[in-house]
Amino acid sequence: MNAQLNHIYKSFGAVQANVDVSLTVQSGAIHGLLGENGAGKSTLVKMLSGFITRDAGEILLDDKPAEVRTPADGIRAGVGMLHQDPLDFPPMTVLDNFVAGKAGGLFLNRRDAVQEFKILADQFNFALDVDEQMGNLTIGERQQLEILRLLSLGVSTLILDEPTTGISASQKTALFDALRKLAGQGKSIVFVSHKLEDVEELCNQVTVMRAGHVVGTVDIPCPTSTLVSMMFGRELAAPVKPPTCQADIAMRIQGLTIGDDRIDVQVADLTVRRGEVIGLAGLEGSGQRLFLLTCAGVLRPATGKLYIRDANGLCEMTGKPYHQYQTSGVGYLPADRLREGLIWGLSIQEHVVLRTSSSGLFIDREASRQVADQAIQKFNIRGKADTRVGQLSGGNQQRTQLALLPSPLNLVLLEHPTRGLDIESTIWVWQQLIERCRNGTSIIFASSDLDEIVQYSDRVIVFSGGKVSTPIETTALTAGKLGEMIGGKFGNNGNSAYAGVN
Amino acid sequence: MKISFIRSLTALAGASLLISACGATPTAAPTSAPAATAAPAATSAPAATTATTAGGAYKIGMILVGPYNDKGWNQATFEGLDYVKSKMPGFSFDYVDKVNSADRPNTKGTQVADDLIAKGANMIIFNSDDFKDDALETAKKHPDIPVIHVSGDYAWKDGKNFKEQKNLINIMGQMEYMKMLAGCSAALGTQTGKIGFVGPLINEETRRLASSAYLGAKYCWTNVLKKDPKALEFKVTWIGFWFNIPGVTLDPTKVADDFYNGGFDVVMSGIDTPEAATEAKKMQDAGKKDYYVHYDYKLGCDIAPDACLGSPYFNWGPAYLDAVKKAQAGTLTESFSWNPPDWKNINDPDTSAVGFLPGKALGDKSAQVDALTKGLADGSINLYKGPLNYQDGSVFLKDGEVATPQQIWYLPQLLEGMEGASSAK
Amino acid sequence: MKEKSQSTSRALVFRPARGLTYQAGALLLSFLFITIIILLTGESPFRVVASLWDGAFGTTDQFARVFSTLTPLVLCSSGLIFTFTAGLYNLGVEGQIVAGAIAATFILREFQAVLPAPLVVAAGVIAGMLGGILWGLLAGVLKVFGKINEIFAGLGMNFVAQGLAIYLIFGPWKRPGIASMSGTEPFGESLWLGRFGQTDAAPVALIIAIVALALTIIIMRNTHFGLRLKAVGQNPRASFILGMPATRLLLSSFIICGAFAGLAGGLQVVGLFHRLVPSISSNLGYLALLVVMLISFNALWIAPVAFFFSALNVGSLQLPMVLRMESSLSGVIQGTLVLLALLARGFSERARKAAGGQ
Repeated sequence: MNAQLNHIYKSFGAVQANVDVSLTVQSGAIHGLLGENGAGKSTLVKMLSGFITRDAGEILLDDKPAEVRTPADGIRAGVGMLHQDPLDFPPMTVLDNFVAGKAGGLFLNRRDAVQEFKILADQFNFALDVDEQMGNLTIGERQQLEILRLLSLGVSTLILDEPTTGISASQKTALFDALRKLAGQGKSIVFVSHKLEDVEELCNQVTVMRAGHVVGTVDIPCPTSTLVSMMFGRELAAPVKPPTCQADIAMRIQGLTIGDDRIDVQVADLTVRRGEVIGLAGLEGSGQRLFLLTCAGVLRPATGKLYIRDANGLCEMTGKPYHQYQTSGVGYLPADRLREGLIWGLSIQEHVVLRTSSSGLFIDREASRQVADQAIQKFNIRGKADTRVGQLSGGNQQRTQLALLPSPLNLVLLEHPTRGLDIESTIWVWQQLIERCRNGTSIIFASSDLDEIVQYSDRVIVFSGGKVSTPIETTALTAGKLGEMIGGKFGNNGNSAYAGVN
Repeated sequence: MKISFIRSLTALAGASLLISACGATPTAAPTSAPAATAAPAATSAPAATTATTAGGAYKIGMILVGPYNDKGWNQATFEGLDYVKSKMPGFSFDYVDKVNSADRPNTKGTQVADDLIAKGANMIIFNSDDFKDDALETAKKHPDIPVIHVSGDYAWKDGKNFKEQKNLINIMGQMEYMKMLAGCSAALGTQTGKIGFVGPLINEETRRLASSAYLGAKYCWTNVLKKDPKALEFKVTWIGFWFNIPGVTLDPTKVADDFYNGGFDVVMSGIDTPEAATEAKKMQDAGKKDYYVHYDYKLGCDIAPDACLGSPYFNWGPAYLDAVKKAQAGTLTESFSWNPPDWKNINDPDTSAVGFLPGKALGDKSAQVDALTKGLADGSINLYKGPLNYQDGSVFLKDGEVATPQQIWYLPQLLEGMEGASSAK
Repeated sequence: MKEKSQSTSRALVFRPARGLTYQAGALLLSFLFITIIILLTGESPFRVVASLWDGAFGTTDQFARVFSTLTPLVLCSSGLIFTFTAGLYNLGVEGQIVAGAIAATFILREFQAVLPAPLVVAAGVIAGMLGGILWGLLAGVLKVFGKINEIFAGLGMNFVAQGLAIYLIFGPWKRPGIASMSGTEPFGESLWLGRFGQTDAAPVALIIAIVALALTIIIMRNTHFGLRLKAVGQNPRASFILGMPATRLLLSSFIICGAFAGLAGGLQVVGLFHRLVPSISSNLGYLALLVVMLISFNALWIAPVAFFFSALNVGSLQLPMVLRMESSLSGVIQGTLVLLALLARGFSERARKAAGGQ
C-alpha cells in the first residue's frame, strides 16, 4: 500500500512538532525516517497510525484520503505501528496477546488462532511459544509477537519506531530478514530510527527530519557524511568555557557495567579531574542517564569500581548507600525537575528545610526563612520563600534545584541542565556552574543540545545505544565526527575497548 | 470510587460480627382472662412512635437484635407487644430493631435503652441473650425502670449466674416441651429412621433444645411406633450461628441439602432462618418425600405446607402483659420466669407461653402427638427422667431420677444416642 | 520579620483558598442531594434534621455518647493524618483498633487480680497502643519489604484481627458458662475508666484523644519529621533524590497510626465496653478514613469534622426510633459529603492545571 502524508502540521502547546511535513512511502519499499530525538519522527508516524491526530494536512492511503483518528481506524485502514515499548498485556500469554484486538465473535476459536499464529511465525522464523507468559519474553520477542499480531490483523503498512533498541544481534538479523520479506510481499515499511548503520543496512530510501521539518529524502546507498550533515546540519558553536581544570583527581571509574531491562552500558576506565566538565552526548536513552545515576549513587553498577574524592581523599564508593554519596559532596540534578528533583506542593523554604541535616525535632522557621531568602537572592529565583515550587517557571525551578545542591560540592551530575530554559537562564545557570568549577567542583552532564555540550565541556563522551566512546577533547571535535558517533558509527574514533555489549 | 470501596468493605467486615437472637419463651401469666385471638401481624410502624402515655397509659421500649419481621425469633418477640396493645387501652411502645454491630455499628444496647427511656418508656425489653450485659447495665442505671431480658438467667436466684438487681427480670418459655412434640412428629414422619437437626451455635440453650427434640423423637419411635431405638438416627449439625454468615458459618442450605440427600428424610430446624423448610419444598417439588419441622414462628408451616410436620413456637404476649400489670401494681421485682405451656390448650394465645401447631404433612398422626401432649400435661410422661446418659456415656440421671430445672437449663452435653458435637472445639 | 514568619507557618498548614469555592459548592450539592433522598423516602428534611439534632444533643446520655464516639474517631483520624500524608491508604486502621483492644483485654485479664486497678488500666491502655503498633508495623513491613499494596495488606490484617477477636471471645476467653457474641466477661467496675456520671463518656479518654490531636497538629506543622513525611507522600522519588530516608519515614507513619488506633482500641475496652466485644472497633476506623479524606489530610479540621460525624452517628439512632427510617441515612450523608468533596478537589486541581499552575 502506498502511504502519503501531505503538508502535515502538529503542535503541542507552544512546541511545533511537525511543520509542513510531507512524506511518501511506496508499496514494497522500506522507508527510513532519520533524525535526532525531538526531530518530530515519532509524532509524524503516530499521526499516520492514528495514535494522535494532526492539526492540518492530509493523509492518503493508496491515493485515497483517509481519516485515521484512532489506532483502531489505523488498523482498519491497514496501518499498524510497532512501538518502542511494545504495547502488550504482561500478565497474559503469547496467544492471548495475539488474539487481543481481533475482530470476531464473542467466543475465541483458540485452535484456529494457534494455527494462524504458527503459520505466521514459521514464515519469519520467529521461535515463539504460544503458551509462554508475556512477562518472560525479551523485548525482541515481544516485538516479534507484535509484528505477527499486526500482520494477522491485515496491516499492509507497518511502522516500526526505534525497533533495534534493546534487542539482540540475532533478533535484529531476524527482524531485518522479516522486514525485507514483507517488503517483497508488497507491504510498505516505515522504519524510524536514529541509528545510521541500521538505516543504511536496511532501507531503500531515507527521509531526514530536523526540528519538525523535513530536511530531505535520499536513496540508499548514500554517503554517511551526507546523512550526518542532514541530521546535524550546522556548524557547532564555539567553546565558551574558561579553563577550570585542576590536577587533582575528583573521580575515578574502573570497568563499570550498568544495565537495566533495555540497555547495557559498559564504561572502561575514566578519570575526572577537579574542576573538569565532562559532557555526555548522544541521543536520549543511549545510556547516559544510567551512567549519571550510577555516578550519583542512585544505581548500583553490576561490576566495576567507583572512587570519589571527599575531604578524606579518594574513597571507594562502590555499593555504598545513596546518602553516603550525598555526604561525600555528590549532587544530582534530574532532568524531570518536578517528577524527580522537587516536590510540587512544597515551598522553596520547605525545600531548604528538607535539605538541612539538622537533627533537631522542630523546624527553625526563622533560620530556614533566612536561608531561603538568601538563596532566592543569590540564585535570582523569581518567587518568595513560601512560593510552592510547582508554581515556579522552569528556569526558576532549575535555579531552586541549584540552590539546593549540597555544600561542599565535589561532583555534580546534571541531566539536561538547561532544558526548557530561556537563553538568559541558560547563560546564568552555566555561570553558576562554572563558578563552582573554579572552586573545584567537577561536573558531568548529559544534554541533547550539541551546542551546549561543545560550549561547556572540557571533554566529551558519546553514547550510542549503550556503546560508549573514549573521552574526546572538545577542541578535537568536529560536527561531522560527533554526528557520526551519535549515529552509532564510532569507526576508529571510538576505542574498541569502550564498545558496549548489547 | 474509594468511598464505595470502603463502604462495601465496611459491610463485609460488619457481616462477620452479626448477632442474632436465641430462642426462649415467656411464662404465660396464667391469670389473664379475656379471650382475644391470635396476635395480629406486625403493626404499622409510625403509629407506635409519638403517643405519650397519659394517665394510666404505659409504654414499653423494646430492643430487638434482628429485623422485627424476620418470621422467626424477632418477629415472635415483637408481636408480643401487639398482643399487649390489644389487651390494654393506652398502652404504646417504641422499638429499635437490628441492634447489632453489623446493622448499626457503634450502637450499644444500653445506649438504645437510654434513648427509649428518654422517649418515655416505662419498661425496657431486650430480646436476645447477647444483651445480657446491656440489660444488667441498663437496670443498674435506671433502677426505677423494669428491664426485661428475654432468655437470660441473671435474675435466676437458683441459677448459676445470679446478679442481684431488683428491677431485672428474665423471661423464657419452656420450649423444651414443644421441642419434644416436634421431635415426636419428626419420628412419626420419617420413613428412613434418620432425623437431621440443623443447630445454631452450641450453648446450654441449644443443647437442651436439641436434646429435648431427641427425647421426643426417641419416645415416639420406641413407644408409639414400637421400633428398635437403635434404628433411629438423630444427627445434629451446628452451623455456628443463628443464621448463615457466608464464610463464617456453615451454609444452612447446604447442611439441609446434605441431610436430605444423605437419607435423612426429616430435618428439624434449630436456627432463626427457614432453610430446612425451603430445601424440603425443593425436594418435594422434585418428587422426593422429605419433610421439615420448623422453629420459633407460629406460621412456619405456611412456608411449605405439604412438607411441614409441625412448628413449635413462642407466644410472648401473655408474659409481657403480666409484667406490665405487675409493674403498674408495683409488684414487679427481680424474677426469673421460665413459663410453661397451658396444658389445657397449648395453643391458647392468652395463656400458653409456648405452643405447637402440627403440620399438614403429619396428617392423622397428629393424634399420637396429642397423646404425648396429654401425657406430658398430666405428668404421666416425663422424658427428663432416668435412666438417661450423656453423650459420652456418663450418667446424667439415675434410674427414676427426675432432672431439676437447673440440670435442664445448664445441660452440659448432648444425650446418649445423639450424633453431633456437644461443645465447640 | 515576625509578620513574615507567621504567614509562612500558615502556608505550611492551610491549603490554598483556591479550592474554597469548589468545596462550598460540594457542600451545597451534598445537602441538595441528601434533601432529595429524604424527600424521596417521603420524609420531611426538617424532621430528619430535628431528629438527628435531638438524638445527638437531646439528653446528657446522648451528648456523652457523642463524646465517647468522638474519642476513637479523633484518635484514628489523627493517626491516619500521618499515613495519608506519607501517601499511604492505611485501610488497616480498623484492624489496628481491634489489635489494640485485644492487647488491652489481655493485660486486664492477666493482671486484674494481681496489680492495683489504676495500674492495670494504665498498663492496658499502653498495651493497646503497643498492639496497634504491632499491627500497623506488620502492614508497613508488608508494604515496604513485601511490596504488597498497603490497602490489601491492611484489609488482610483487618480480617486477621477481627478473626482473632472472635476466636478469643468464643474460645480461650469465653465467658464462664457459654460463649456469646456479647463478648468476654465484663471487667469489674474498678477497672472502668472514670465516666461522667453514669454516661458513656470517659473524660480521661477524651483528654488522651485531644493530646494526640494536638501532637499531630504540632508534628505536622512544626517538625522536620512532619515535613519529610509530607515530602515522601507527595513525591517519593524526588524525596529520595533529595536524601529523605523513605523507608524509615513510611514505617514511622505506620507505627504512629497504629499507636493511635491501638490506643483507641484500648480505650474502647476500658472506657466504653468494659470487655472485648466482637465489634469493638464499631467501624470507627473506617469512619475516620472518611473524616480524613473529607478534610484533605489537614489536621486542624479533625476536631470539628469528627465532632460532626460523631453527632450524626449518634443522632441517627433516632431515625428508626422516631421516623422509622433507616439509620444508614447517616452513612449516606457522610459518604455523599466525602465523595463530593473529593470530586470538588479533583475539579479544582484540574482548574488549577488548566490555569497553568503547572
